Amino acid sequence: MNEAFFVQLALSAAAVGVLVAIAAWAKIAKPAGPLDDYKARGLFEYEFPGRKLDAVWVASDGAGALAKSGGLALVICQVGDGFAARQIPWAQAISASFKNGKLCVDLADIAAPRATLSLPSWPPKNLTKDLAA
Amino acid sequence: MMKAAIDPVTLATPFFILSVILEIVLARMGKADARYETKDTAVSLGMGLISSVAGLLTAGAVFAATLWVYEHRLFTIPMTAIWAWVAIFLLEDLTYYVFHRVSHERRFWWAAHVNHHSSQHYNLSTALRQTWTGGVAGTWALWLPLAFLGFPPAMIAIQKGVSLVYQYWIHTEAIKKTPRWFEAVFNTPSHHRVHHARNAIYLDRNYAGILIVWDRMFGTFQPELDAEPCRYGLVKNVATFNILRVVFHEWIGIVQDVVRNPRHALGYIFGPPGWSHDGSRETSTMIKARVGAEPAKAAAEDAREAA
Ligand SMILES: [Zn+2]
Ligand SMILES: [Zn+2]
Repeated sequence: MNEAFFVQLALSAAAVGVLVAIAAWAKIAKPAGPLDDYKARGLFEYEFPGRKLDAVWVASDGAGALAKSGGLALVICQVGDGFAARQIPWAQAISASFKNGKLCVDLADIAAPRATLSLPSWPPKNLTKDLAA
Repeated sequence: MMKAAIDPVTLATPFFILSVILEIVLARMGKADARYETKDTAVSLGMGLISSVAGLLTAGAVFAATLWVYEHRLFTIPMTAIWAWVAIFLLEDLTYYVFHRVSHERRFWWAAHVNHHSSQHYNLSTALRQTWTGGVAGTWALWLPLAFLGFPPAMIAIQKGVSLVYQYWIHTEAIKKTPRWFEAVFNTPSHHRVHHARNAIYLDRNYAGILIVWDRMFGTFQPELDAEPCRYGLVKNVATFNILRVVFHEWIGIVQDVVRNPRHALGYIFGPPGWSHDGSRETSTMIKARVGAEPAKAAAEDAREAA
């Protein structure tokens, strides 16, 4: 490791900074758009093919969704201009912390630590009513 | 640091930087198909930068091992002969195919390679999303037989660099298909898009470095289909831009699985990614079988496309 190495490293780091700034300026992310009930169901079907959805809750800002499927909670959360999906036991979703209109679901995965969903209330008061709706 | 006199990757770095700018600007002007998300780009480029430093930490040991093997070589291959460069081009590329296939089919090596596939984007910056843990994974040992055959270590290093630089430009959606003869012989943006896609039919396909012919020979080739647009990333996508989580998640996952199920340690370390002792997870073979994306079906689609 000599001086030239560190100069090269510093220049590369500066170049990374410039490239990220240009990417931010360009605003050419995927036009993902907020999720609505229809889009969320499409995404659940793609991520968990063939799974029956008993009930679906879409985040009020469209940045995620949660579905009950038997004993499982299926969770979709926005990551940048894309989405990631995980499944956890339903009981774990029910006991997730809910504060100031934000549900924070622990996904228990190093690569997907938690999902935060904006919801009017949680847990669902009357699941049978929700299911009928 | 012990490095080859000519390092193709260092030489190509200005070209990497300029071409990323070009791709972004052309996309912004609506002249090219490319998507960039700021945090995703930052993670990709940051991983590339730190990977070059991480590579240096093991470079000395790797070079020493290569040199030691070379001292016990079978033949002495001259670096000045054309035939020697043709031979190393083919043999290095075949080695890359083996390395890449092992990196996808066995979890221990997947843990190092998964990084490169962790983006939901496919653009030139994705090419620079390189692993930090390749030296630890030990896959560099796959190149030692070349030194044993008698190829000089510098020659091997140069050809590895050439391969890496070649594979840079194919990480783009801006180029749809190249001429037919080129698609038949070489790895192209189209072939490598398939490799980065998480659609069931595309999983574990197109391991090529420079020549796609290895995939055609060994039955792992899958053409890009118009009816099946590529969705990039992992079967279970990473839900964070925390670079440390992106880099180390699979390694930590292996440790967690082994601690929880020590009796099944071998399966969790060396089984295919997605293997579990109780069948609670899915491997790519299981996913393909479930959705009916069998090799036979892929071959039929292939034939239809070729027709
Ligand atoms: Zn790969
Ligand atoms: Zn790639």
